Amino acid sequence: MKRDPLEGLLGHTGRDPGCDAAFEQFDRYCDACLRGKDVEREFPEFMNHLRNCPGCREDAEGLLAALRQLDED
Amino acid sequence: MENDRDSAEWLRGLSAEGPVREETVSRLRALLLRVARAVATQRRASVPDRGLEEVDDLCHQAASDAAMAILRKLPDFRGDSRFTTWACKFVMFEISTRLRRHAWRHRKIEPNEQVLDRLVDSALPALTRLEQTETLHFLQRAIRDDLTDRQRLIFQAAVLDEVPIDVLAERLDSTRGAIYKILHDARARLRRALARNEGKEERV
Repeated sequence: MKRDPLEGLLGHTGRDPGCDAAFEQFDRYCDACLRGKDVEREFPEFMNHLRNCPGCREDAEGLLAALRQLDED
Repeated sequence: MENDRDSAEWLRGLSAEGPVREETVSRLRALLLRVARAVATQRRASVPDRGLEEVDDLCHQAASDAAMAILRKLPDFRGDSRFTTWACKFVMFEISTRLRRHAWRHRKIEPNEQVLDRLVDSALPALTRLEQTETLHFLQRAIRDDLTDRQRLIFQAAVLDEVPIDVLAERLDSTRGAIYKILHDARARLRRALARNEGKEERV
């Protein structure tokens, strides 16, 4: 898929539910990731938000890393 | 399923009374503190000047606030995820916000025209390679002319200066969700301006 060169500045063009709505889905998204589900298909709008919002992206990655560590211990 | 049994056990403990509840709340706080510390360790590079003790204070505050939020919102838990995943997202946001705000505590956030100049000169090598300098010059003008003062400030800070949204929310006495909405609207406005401009060029 051709990447929009302006995406970094103007964001991804797909629907973006915003930080508050994304927060509601964080736990379902993380569990789906940990179970190896196709999150692009199951959470398309949430994934758009992660592309547009560095803070939520960092939080999702951080939460996943912490949960993996908990599961291993 | 083992995960569901685990979630049910947490819910039973937190909904109980007396020593059972106290013991479960104590286990919850320990779990949250552990996650907060794990996140603080991941982000150590972004807060290089902090003493370990100070970071640990932030972890304790985050775990405590997250525990309160979880107990308050417990009736909202619908079991769509594991209880521990649901609970950990609260502490994730608490510690994350605290660490970001602390990392930015000595830095000013204010409108700065020079930031817009950097847009073309250095910020986007990929775009320069694509010979989109014209587009960037147009965007510079659109940022100045088409955005409201608040949209311009937030776009400049969040996108060009990479100020975290939760830091902006604190400085502007707002919320993360509200700041993100303004950023989203600003980006949409710039995209529309760009589309109008491209349409005009095609007609010419």
